[in-house]
Amino acid sequence: MIHAVWVINKAGGLVFNRSYSDVLPPLPLNAVLILAGTLHGIHAITGRLDPTTNSKSRSGPSSGQGMEAFEAEGWGGRVWLSGTGTKFIVLHSIPHSGLDELLRRIYEIYADAVMKNPFHTPEMPINSSLFETRLQTLIAGVNT
Amino acid sequence: MIYSLYIFDRHCDCVYYQDWNRTSPVRPPPPSNFKAGIHRLPPPPDPTGAIRESIFSNQRSSIQSGAVDGQDGRGQAGPVGRTGKGIGGLPFDEEAKLVYGVVLSLRNMAKKLSGREDLFTSYRTPTYKFHLFETPTNYRFVLLSDPSGDSLSFVLRKLYTGAFMEYVVRNPLIDMNSRDIGIDSDAFRSAVDRQMRGLSMFNT
Repeated sequence: MIHAVWVINKAGGLVFNRSYSDVLPPLPLNAVLILAGTLHGIHAITGRLDPTTNSKSRSGPSSGQGMEAFEAEGWGGRVWLSGTGTKFIVLHSIPHSGLDELLRRIYEIYADAVMKNPFHTPEMPINSSLFETRLQTLIAGVNT
Repeated sequence: MIYSLYIFDRHCDCVYYQDWNRTSPVRPPPPSNFKAGIHRLPPPPDPTGAIRESIFSNQRSSIQSGAVDGQDGRGQAGPVGRTGKGIGGLPFDEEAKLVYGVVLSLRNMAKKLSGREDLFTSYRTPTYKFHLFETPTNYRFVLLSDPSGDSLSFVLRKLYTGAFMEYVVRNPLIDMNSRDIGIDSDAFRSAVDRQMRGLSMFNT
């Protein structure tokens, strides 16, 4: 079960958020904006706490060493950082399979419906009904 | 693979730290922030001699060193810490603050998102996994392990009900309310060490 999808731009601003289940209570937009900013910060810090020396570089948005997934009691989140610094977050129930594939599909839809749209301003909130309906179809397929 | 363990008390201070297979360097904290007993990092050179070292520091060279943390992990980390002024890595106090910051923010986020008193239990990055266990008295146990492992909350719970109860709570020599010294007990340190080394995934 997918609870929600967020898209966070590289500055930590929430550009898209949609809820797909009523398991997690609805939050006012301002609260979600703050949480997205928090997550952005946490993501940066978690990359610095690395106890190993395996990481190649500790800087740059695409180093991809930050948090990938987190778990709470009964639900969790998956964070995926694209090469350009945009973060895609999926909140889901636990256990959940096929999240990597799902995030890849979301990114595809994002590339098709948002990035190929000449009227979209990068890093700004996503106002695209095409993106929303295609995402809706994708998530509905997973949530059944 | 087990990397490191942090224990935070209800004052949000780190009171205990130990590491095992950690390879990234950590520097000792500056003299102003050096608290005895939390870790076994060598104290930084201090002209005033004001640093209060662990009460176990002197014995360590003779009897205790082999038993507690002599052989491997510490053996590597020690020299790095001593000579490591130029090497990267955060001072220990800064790092502990970052760890606590992550605990607190993720915890608040999980609470807000779920609308319940839900706690986040773990997160993982490509290189490590972070496990949290919280006691009713607001002690927070944080364990870093490699990312492939399952949840290790049970290990932290066992540590709390076993070694922590036995050697810290029931130990009259440890001041649980102190903000200057951590859990300065070699008995606890070796008990933690034993328990971690007993895990099947300790160094695999």
